[in-house]
Amino acid sequence: MNGTGTVGAIQKLENMLLVAVPRDLMDTDVLHLRREVLQAIRRYNSRWVLLDFSRVDICDSFFGRFIQSTAQMAGLMGAEVIISGLQDAVIETMVELGMTLADITAVLDLDDALVLSRETDQRSSESDTSDSDTENILLDEEV
Amino acid sequence: MAETIKRIPVKTFADVVTARRQALDLSLAMGFPMPEATKIAVVVSELGRNIMLYAGEGTITLLPNEAERYFKLIAQDQGPGIEDIDLALTEHYSTSGGLGLGLSGSKRMMDEFEVWSVVGVGTRITAVRYLH
Ligand SMILES: Nc1ncnc2c1ncn2[C@@H]1O[C@H](COP(=O)(O)OP(=O)(O)O)[C@@H](O)[C@H]1O
Ligand SMILES: [Mg+2]
Repeated sequence: MNGTGTVGAIQKLENMLLVAVPRDLMDTDVLHLRREVLQAIRRYNSRWVLLDFSRVDICDSFFGRFIQSTAQMAGLMGAEVIISGLQDAVIETMVELGMTLADITAVLDLDDALVLSRETDQRSSESDTSDSDTENILLDEEV
Repeated sequence: MAETIKRIPVKTFADVVTARRQALDLSLAMGFPMPEATKIAVVVSELGRNIMLYAGEGTITLLPNEAERYFKLIAQDQGPGIEDIDLALTEHYSTSGGLGLGLSGSKRMMDEFEVWSVVGVGTRITAVRYLH
């Protein structure tokens, strides 16, 4: 557990950051949370950021903007954002609102997120053996 | 049957949270299924944020009507008003760098959606969702 008193607790698991998105995300919280995510990506050299939406039951376009901007910034640091825990009613509403989130992968839960990250990381380490070797050794040691 | 009328002053984000939570609870209580109630709450959230952002303050009134089987809401403010309502209702149109989905998306999610706005006077949006 990281940081009581912070907006959303950020935890690290393998090369993934787990971010519990608060139920009522405030405008001012967004800046904090995004900054914390970026700092954590750098500190842990994370390749994946899982935004857990399971607490969020009313998801307006402001959340959509938060997801997009976080994904963009994380992308610039070489990390990919995935989202999990979207409730059925939330998904239905997001679609009808017009939030497409085209290039963001959504998974059911943490287990699925881990399967996805492990498979993808494995594939990329197989495809370019020379460069990513050191990186993967480092990551393996952390587990 | 007695109608509930909830008039919520909106100035801060905490007010928006109060309004959308009440919208969710009231619509669920009158029998809207979860996805429908969620849509009503999201519309309240979008209109509430618009009041905060563009007008500074205003009110949201929730009028669930169990006998007539509809949920009505009114968002009004005495802010700058909207110059071109059709344009404001266009998907992805935003003067604040937002996603521009608040009004267009809300209109899609409600059965009736009416925007009244006069520049320099204010904005009033009335929306209704029927319980089918
Ligand atoms: N209450 C309001 N008063 C004045 N202008 C408004 C109000 N609500 C919406 N608008 C205008 O309509 C535009 C579209 O609103 P919306 O669809 O909610 O998208 P966004 O808030 O992301 O810009 C806003 O950018 C703003 O210019
Ligand atoms: Mg808006």
